[in-house]
Amino acid sequence: MKKMILLIIITVIEIFPQQKIADELINSVIANFNTVKDYEVDVEIKVDVEFLKVPDSKAKIYFKQPDKIRLKSEGFALLPKEGLNFSPSVLSKKDYTAIYERDVLLNGVKTSVVKVIPIGEQSNIILSTLWIDPVRKLIRKVESTTKTNGTFVIELFYSDNFKYPLPEQMTFTFNIDKMNLPKAFTSDGNPPKKKKRMPDAPTKGIVVVKYSNYKVNTGLADNIFEEH
Amino acid sequence: MKSVNSELVIEIKNLSKSFKNLIAVDNLNINVFQGDVFGFLGPNGAGKSTTIRMLLTLIKPNKGSIKIFGKDLFKERLSILRNIGAIVEKPDFYGYLPAIKNLEIVSKISGHDISKKRIMEVLELVGLAERYKSKVKTFSHGMKQRLGIAQALLHNPDLIILDEPTTGLDPMGMKEIRDLIIHLSRDLKKTIFLSSHILYEVEQVANRMIIIYKGTARVEGNVKDLLNATNLAVTFEVNDSEKAKDILNETRWKEKLKNVSGQKLEFNIENHEIASLNKYFVEYGVDVYSIIPTRSLEEYFLKITQETN
Amino acid sequence: MFTLISIELYKIFRKWRTYIGFIAIGILVPIIHIAMIYEGKNTIDFMTRNIQQSFIFVGNLLNTYLISYIVLNSLTVHIPFLITLVGGDLLAGEATAGTYRLMLTRPITREKFVTAKFIAGVIYTNLLIFWLALMSLVVGYFIFGVGELLIIRGDMIIIFEKEDILWRFVGAYGYASLGMTVVASLSFLFSSLVENAIGPIVSTMAVIIVFVIISAINVDLLQSIKPYLFTNYISSWQLFFDQPVDFNEILKSIGILILHILIFFGATLIIFRRKDILT
Repeated sequence: MKKMILLIIITVIEIFPQQKIADELINSVIANFNTVKDYEVDVEIKVDVEFLKVPDSKAKIYFKQPDKIRLKSEGFALLPKEGLNFSPSVLSKKDYTAIYERDVLLNGVKTSVVKVIPIGEQSNIILSTLWIDPVRKLIRKVESTTKTNGTFVIELFYSDNFKYPLPEQMTFTFNIDKMNLPKAFTSDGNPPKKKKRMPDAPTKGIVVVKYSNYKVNTGLADNIFEEH
Repeated sequence: MKSVNSELVIEIKNLSKSFKNLIAVDNLNINVFQGDVFGFLGPNGAGKSTTIRMLLTLIKPNKGSIKIFGKDLFKERLSILRNIGAIVEKPDFYGYLPAIKNLEIVSKISGHDISKKRIMEVLELVGLAERYKSKVKTFSHGMKQRLGIAQALLHNPDLIILDEPTTGLDPMGMKEIRDLIIHLSRDLKKTIFLSSHILYEVEQVANRMIIIYKGTARVEGNVKDLLNATNLAVTFEVNDSEKAKDILNETRWKEKLKNVSGQKLEFNIENHEIASLNKYFVEYGVDVYSIIPTRSLEEYFLKITQETN
Repeated sequence: MFTLISIELYKIFRKWRTYIGFIAIGILVPIIHIAMIYEGKNTIDFMTRNIQQSFIFVGNLLNTYLISYIVLNSLTVHIPFLITLVGGDLLAGEATAGTYRLMLTRPITREKFVTAKFIAGVIYTNLLIFWLALMSLVVGYFIFGVGELLIIRGDMIIIFEKEDILWRFVGAYGYASLGMTVVASLSFLFSSLVENAIGPIVSTMAVIIVFVIISAINVDLLQSIKPYLFTNYISSWQLFFDQPVDFNEILKSIGILILHILIFFGATLIIFRRKDILT
């Protein structure tokens, strides 16, 4: 019994500092990100998904604190939900438990690995891992496991000489189960061809988004974010 | 009416055609000379239409040859057809098109340059000028028959083939057609090949004729000669045919008796013998109710027609 | 020859049945347009239901291209019927009406007669497809405008750029015309065999329906004969909506269709040359 108590005490002593470090890291990222009140950016989207053939597209993304975001395009543009919606401001809701794990080198940059476990049932995400650059107070990589859409990885690349913590490129990699496509309007008279791919193997997809021409803190009006 | 010219317009040699098991035309030989109105006579189903269809290349013969204008029909089909006008069986047209359009279509492929004026002329000739804009489906059978003649005459052909042109016409219409045939032959010097199942019709207009039955030619020759044959079939209707037969025994009449049915006795005798045979019967107490002379050709034709029906 | 073709076209276009096809398309396509005005959003939602789970997208997907694609897709089974209505009547109609006698006793060769009729039938077929293109693509343009085309091919979602679509439709309609010409030549062949237009219409449709059903049944034995069924190639206009387009496959399909047309027409020619005209 005594041993048990000791073990718990040791564990708590061990975890508390780790949680503290994690919160500090995240707070620094949020604080840094909060220098951006809003932004408008041109994006180029490249989608490379086996079952989805989409031409490269150009669009604009609008963002306004705390969580207004909108994708606009003259033509067709498509982004993974998690890729579009992800921003450090999500973390400011504090509906999670964060634990610092260790420091690692990511692409030659020292980053702190932080595990984030959402609290409550609402979140689709079961567990996220953040690679936080403690020096520039940036998130460089996110790996999340979701309840419904498998696992996805977001890698963010930043320009060295941009004063805002906004990426110049995002690579979104995901594994999802093969989708069941609706059969209507597909009736080409041919039954689906037998593909080389194993029927139920999860599909891997990569979406690369390049950001350019940021316009930050121009005071975007709210109506930009309204649906037409 | 003698043949105007001895030039052969149609020369059919050993023509045969069968459909599956049915022999439609069997080894038929026909010569039609320039200027002839040639009667092609036979009961329905005798092979007349099959022959006419072969003359117009609608049907290919199994055997035999056809020469028209001295040329082989199947080798020089196009140049021959340019000079033939024809009605084959009932006159059919594009019912959804007006009469004039039907004639325009026909004239465009006639191999001749036919003016609108000529089309109207021909419509006038057959008495359809006023209905030229009406759709053919609104036409009566008689009107279609007349339009059929119009399309046959349109390009002023040398040879006109008419397949039963008076079928379905009223007596007035029949006479009109016969007059037209006589006009074409006498005034326009056309050669006419006329098929019919009515002896009387052929007799009225043709100078030469052939009777075909079951695909083969049975009687052929000059119409006048054939119909003025001296041999007559004469039927005596008497009160007692047994008694009549008895008294004829041992007389020269016996061998002239052809047939007895009921009270009727049929003889093959000549005109001048009728009176003496009648006298003979009366002398020996046989009452004669009626004497009906029939020309043998007519009788023969009636017989084969009845057999067919 | 030109005279003959113009005569045959004149006859075709003076017949009421010729317009059934044009009227049918002229009514059906606008109905689809109207339905799309009201229900188009739902259709798009339905088609993109699965991508919506993971993706956010913007753009005008409800456009004339999508509707024309749907129309072309759903009508390829039905347009043959409209084609056979006229194609099956081309020769048999003359037999029924007795007008062979009117035409073939003229100084024209049977080969020319048949060829002129066939060409007239092909012109009708192409005009019908052109009318379909006009009704769906052009009328649709004025209602819905243009945009990217999202289609589902097999287990693949393909989205084409706006500028990358029109040529595909030109190709697809052209190919569909060729496919329908095969139908026309088949009905023409049947038409030369009989004396009543109902026969060729029904038998052409029966052949198409049987072939389509055989193609659709996913049994190995039936699937193995599928490449030999011409109906399989009639819907190959969809090859123009592959990414990337397999031009070899298209050329092969075009070759097969042309071969069918030549065989059907050649057979008609041989049969008709020997045919005894008995009506």
